[in-house]
Amino acid sequence: MNFTIKNFHKGLINREFKASEVVEDYYQTIEEKDQEIGAYLSLNKIDAISQAKKVDADLNDKKEIDILAGVPLAIKDNILIEDQPATAASNILKHYRASYDATVIKKLKKVDAVFLGKTNLDEFAMGSSTETSAFKKTRNPHDFERVPGGSSGGSAAAVAADLCVAALGSDTGGSIRQPANFCGVVGLKPTYGAVSRHGLIAMASSLDQIGPITKTVEDAEILFSAIKGKDSLDATTVNLANKNSKLKIEDLTIGLPKEYFEEGGLSKEVAEAMDEVINNFKKAGFKIKEISLPHTKYAVACYYIIMPAEASTNLARYDGLRYGQKSKIKNQKSKLLDAYVDFRGEGFGDEVKRRIILGTFVLSSGYYDAYYAKAQKVRRLIKEDFEKVFQDVDVILTPVTPTTAFKIGEKITDPLSMYLSDIFTIPVNLAGLPAISIPINLTAKSSNLKANLPIGFQLIGKPFCEEEILNIGKNYEQFFRNN
Amino acid sequence: MAQEIIDKKTLDHLAELSRIQLDSDEEQKILKDLQEILGYFDLLKEINTDNIEPLAGGTIEQNVFREEDVKSEGKNLTDQFLEKEDNYLKIPPVFE
Repeated sequence: MNFTIKNFHKGLINREFKASEVVEDYYQTIEEKDQEIGAYLSLNKIDAISQAKKVDADLNDKKEIDILAGVPLAIKDNILIEDQPATAASNILKHYRASYDATVIKKLKKVDAVFLGKTNLDEFAMGSSTETSAFKKTRNPHDFERVPGGSSGGSAAAVAADLCVAALGSDTGGSIRQPANFCGVVGLKPTYGAVSRHGLIAMASSLDQIGPITKTVEDAEILFSAIKGKDSLDATTVNLANKNSKLKIEDLTIGLPKEYFEEGGLSKEVAEAMDEVINNFKKAGFKIKEISLPHTKYAVACYYIIMPAEASTNLARYDGLRYGQKSKIKNQKSKLLDAYVDFRGEGFGDEVKRRIILGTFVLSSGYYDAYYAKAQKVRRLIKEDFEKVFQDVDVILTPVTPTTAFKIGEKITDPLSMYLSDIFTIPVNLAGLPAISIPINLTAKSSNLKANLPIGFQLIGKPFCEEEILNIGKNYEQFFRNN
Repeated sequence: MAQEIIDKKTLDHLAELSRIQLDSDEEQKILKDLQEILGYFDLLKEINTDNIEPLAGGTIEQNVFREEDVKSEGKNLTDQFLEKEDNYLKIPPVFE
């Protein structure tokens, strides 16, 4: 199959197939392939097929349909779909069923999109490999020995293995872009405030954003347009006026932050890939300028103070009593506090416990100023770095990760080395910017790269200038698809 | 390794504040990991942040107000409770 949103829609309106047939085919493929890949945590076959049949009926009635109508999507399991499981890959939510739709789901239901199922993630989106999921490992479709990245590893693997047409993920420090990069697909982290977080199981509220994971940049644009916009249920959202920026390549300057290339510990193959991408952009007529983001090296430390602080607060609500816990309170004589401690001790995995305790530490009296307040100040410096360079350049080009996908088990016992693998994606969340990761077409005639695993690059835009990075991405994609 | 930043006593206190039970294996592992992670945070000490306003997050730093209205969402919200009486969450006693 390997449908994009665009060509699925075209085939559908030309009556080459029925939406319900394609949905059935996807379930067939999932049955055959997902045993090995492990992208999905739950499937929603009955609703999906009846939704697709509705779209088929609309077409029979000659009704106009939306570009997303009937499109089979996969949804990360920390985004709520009413009456469906929403486990966040945690035992503490194993039996929970969502009691309402996330705003992004409401919007997608309105245009008749189809939800095939919910995808695997690191527990509560805490991780970079999907290995901290309480339920299963997800494998990279390009190499089953390797991780798909994370935390939206299930969504990225599902898109890469064509177990759906496109997917939604969430990105707090790279959780859309890094797995998209490891799996060779496109991932967009929108500007903070571009997409409503209502109905996203919160990890770090000042950093989280929902965004698309797709096969092409064009698809990312379609899905992003459908989910963005102001929502009264998320006070941080804003209304985006369509800027309708015209892409004039000769007017655009791309910045290369030297810190990302010199201090980031790039592997040889990623460094070579970046050289090729830079050359391609030069050939395509873009101006390239070296820039400096001097506080880059502090971003990981800053992030791993702020994120656990917010996560420890957000996860305080999981008391084992309200969200579908099935196991009984052990000792009927126990007090409320004992019940909390028992349920949380059993319900949370290692990484979640580590971050809750770390977050509690950096917020606790006596340490607050040295860690949390300090990190918030550094966060401003990181944001100001970007503001300064955006006076000189229009977009920033960087690697997505220092290496290609690592092996399952390689980093899971060493949390700090796992944290450091997010060095190029984290600053974007701290500064609230939009960024997209785009795979390099390794089979293009013009490419001399000999990599065995997907490699991509990241374009970082000015706040609410998604359109700019999407346009440049589309331009790159079109140019090198045919060359 | 740098000096010990968290000792077992502090960890016990944090676990209690976090309402999390840790067994002794978990305790040792977390203690070791936290020591390493907090040691890494020392990097931030080299930046001078005098007179820098903390950034609490968000792209647009402004307050947003809306009318206070009750929207009843979540029809099966109370069905998820471990135990309930009428439509209330039933919990173990807070005090003895």
